[in-house]
Amino acid sequence: MKIQISNGMFIAMILNIMYAKAIGVTQGVLARTVGQDMWLATLLGTIEGIVMMYLTYLVIRRTPDKDYIQLGQLLLGRWFSSLVALVIFAFFIVAFGPVMITFVYHLRDYFLPDAPLWIFVVTSLIVGTIGCYYGLEVMGRIAVIGLLFMFALNVLITIGSMQEFDIRNLLPIMESGAPKTAKASIHYLSDCAMATMMATLVLPVVKKVDQGHGRFGVFGIMGSGMMIIIWAILEGAVLSSEVTSQYTLSCMKLARNAHMGNFLQRYEMIMIALYSLPALFEVMFCIYGTSVCMSRIFGIKSNRPMIIPCCIMLGVFGYWIIKDHFRALDFLENYWPFIALPVAIGLPLVMILLRKMLGYKLQKKSA
Amino acid sequence: MPENDQAKDGKPQDDMQRLLEQPIQPQLSDNVTAVDEVMGESVDLLKRDFLLCGNPDYPGILYFLDGMADASIVDTVLKALITYGSERNLDPAKLSTADMLRTSLMINASVKTFDTVAEGISALVAGDTLMFVNGLKQGVLICSRGWKDRGVEEPSSENNVRGPRDGFTETIRTNTANVRRRIRDPHLRIDPMVIGKRTQTDINIAYINNLVKPGLVDEVKKRLGGIKIDAILESGYIEELIEDAPLSPFNTVQSTERPDKAASALLEGRVVIFIDNTPVVLIVPTFFWQFIQAPDDYYNRYWVGSFFRIVRYCAFLISLLLPSIYVMLVSFHHEMIPTQLALTIASGREVVPFPVLLEALIMELAFELMREAGLRMPKPIGQAVSIVGSLIIGQAAVQAGLVSPFMVIVVAITGISSFAIPSYSSSLALRMFRFPILIASGTMGLLGFASTFFALLLHALSIRSFGEPYLTPLSPFRPSDQRDTMLRAPMWMLNSRPGFAQDHDRMGHDQMPAPPKKDGSQ
Repeated sequence: MKIQISNGMFIAMILNIMYAKAIGVTQGVLARTVGQDMWLATLLGTIEGIVMMYLTYLVIRRTPDKDYIQLGQLLLGRWFSSLVALVIFAFFIVAFGPVMITFVYHLRDYFLPDAPLWIFVVTSLIVGTIGCYYGLEVMGRIAVIGLLFMFALNVLITIGSMQEFDIRNLLPIMESGAPKTAKASIHYLSDCAMATMMATLVLPVVKKVDQGHGRFGVFGIMGSGMMIIIWAILEGAVLSSEVTSQYTLSCMKLARNAHMGNFLQRYEMIMIALYSLPALFEVMFCIYGTSVCMSRIFGIKSNRPMIIPCCIMLGVFGYWIIKDHFRALDFLENYWPFIALPVAIGLPLVMILLRKMLGYKLQKKSA
Repeated sequence: MPENDQAKDGKPQDDMQRLLEQPIQPQLSDNVTAVDEVMGESVDLLKRDFLLCGNPDYPGILYFLDGMADASIVDTVLKALITYGSERNLDPAKLSTADMLRTSLMINASVKTFDTVAEGISALVAGDTLMFVNGLKQGVLICSRGWKDRGVEEPSSENNVRGPRDGFTETIRTNTANVRRRIRDPHLRIDPMVIGKRTQTDINIAYINNLVKPGLVDEVKKRLGGIKIDAILESGYIEELIEDAPLSPFNTVQSTERPDKAASALLEGRVVIFIDNTPVVLIVPTFFWQFIQAPDDYYNRYWVGSFFRIVRYCAFLISLLLPSIYVMLVSFHHEMIPTQLALTIASGREVVPFPVLLEALIMELAFELMREAGLRMPKPIGQAVSIVGSLIIGQAAVQAGLVSPFMVIVVAITGISSFAIPSYSSSLALRMFRFPILIASGTMGLLGFASTFFALLLHALSIRSFGEPYLTPLSPFRPSDQRDTMLRAPMWMLNSRPGFAQDHDRMGHDQMPAPPKKDGSQ
């Protein structure tokens, strides 16, 4: 029986794959680039992300049961499907860098400074492997639980930060100007890129995806925008953009700052426990994405035999990235968006173009 | 038959099989020889010969097992065969078939005929009485099952304050009757099955025909039919053989000793499996949340039911996570503990020579040891061991500086919480889950805690019980089933059955008690 996931699960998966990195490190990058306009950059990035997600949907609109790799096979044959698989595989390998930066630095720098780095990489990969082994349906279900955790985290941070909330810290609006804000939004758009690349593999298993006219993906990006922009506004209004820009993990500064009354002065550990689920979901999906692509390249039906080899590759790359803080930040700010966006925008565009040119092939095959 | 038995009896397997398959012979002696050879010289096998209607031309014999058959029923049979026939001047020659004998002479409620030795033997070992009469090509089976059994008592492992006090017993028919008495619906079906090559254990599969999901009963029968085992001594044997996730520590088959719980499961469209010789019945499909629900939730008012259900959910989380959280905070993240509390904990730990993880493991193991010892010992001694263990040893350990008072409190609260979970078998599983989370938290802090917890969650999300996701109705989310999951909604709101049942309507709508409307309508 073909696996199917509900629309709600798909939306939850989008939120999970974007949330951890977007609140964890992207806001700091945005603060360094556009100051207090980081919430505007997030908003702009959300709108751009909606367009990008719709573009991704357009590719599979007429063949809703085929993912990008299968569609590539129909359009230009085996070599092209392998090429598409290779591109997606490379994307998720590279995406694992920012994912590890998000997960490891949150836990290591703030909670376990003496623990060796490899423990974080190996532990997250083990949990990711378990999820990936159980398959997409279980990943969808854990994403829904992750969504509840994200709500809880947002409620906790909002309650804990309201006492220091000062709207004046967000003024003046558009201080950096529209072009600079638009340019900065690509950092958030690269978070959306992870969601759209996830959609290239997952959309065909979403229930009634053809009847949704692409709105499930769009809702996902919009929902993510709403959940994440709260952090952008809180960080700007509570910490101020100057303070936010000083931190790699600005959300942790906000979380440490949050308190409820006199007894509960610090509860960031509860927040990080809630935050771990979306972060681990990102790890899980990187393993899933790479293993599916690898299995398609080698013509293996199931992705399970490829999970361990992919974990090794991801682990090595992730460890190399996070071993050096400077390299990690440099990669995050100067390389990641420029790798992620061409793939996330370019691949759907190429596929749409090929569909236009070779659409007759699909009609013939479906006939 | 095992090889040593073959050697002892000197009868190869083929001979035994041939005897069993042998049809009933008109010659009485042939049948007697066959039964004697199959059953051997068992001390409890009783034979009683008689003359049908007192006629020496029609000798017959009764076989029954002492202790398994009710002697008074056998007396009635003999009275009918010997006395009634002659009193009514019945001609045995006219009772030429076993069926005529059954319909004209026998006065017992359940009398059947049979054609092969195997049929007769399987009924004989179940407590029935076999009858052979010279000249008849069939045997007669008289239901005479009657043995000493335990009376219906309140199950000790599933207590409640308000609600029925009866529990299942070791007799399958008493158990099915207990449920049938509650559900007088003609759609309630009880299908028979026999499992166990040697024990020939009776299994009954109960379901309500128009409520159960199509295909579920067939699946249950398929799994039960696939069991090839020599003995079923308890429902646990079957449970392990029909589970969806046999390697998982989670229980995917619910067990209960309470007829009201079984009846409620049937009314929710589930299937109940009765097994002879055990008071524990199995219920499928099973969902995780059911282990935290108790019958009292429905018998008390919904405010009370919901409140205590929430208390039990808290107990579940405490039982699973409290020691791990404590160890994690004290070992790695003490800055997260409010200052006053941290100072109190630190002063208590000042003299303790062990790391927190080791201290927690020692205490948890000691607690499990006391629990197990208390359970295995005779009841009065068991209570004494529990008291000595918990009070005296705990106090002595704190005074000796081996453990901190805070750790004793944590372990005690955890233990009490685990006892608050109504299902004994799932509380055992929970106790086991505690250890990996505890070790991971004690060695890797928040990373270990989060990773182990999510790995466990992923596993729970992946398993199914007879095709239904284990964490239903929370994941996948079923809005209509939420009225009876975390909270127990008022009875007038529980108007639909769980999503997997066939007929969803449980009661009519608009049943909320209300005063009559002004226009006089209800």
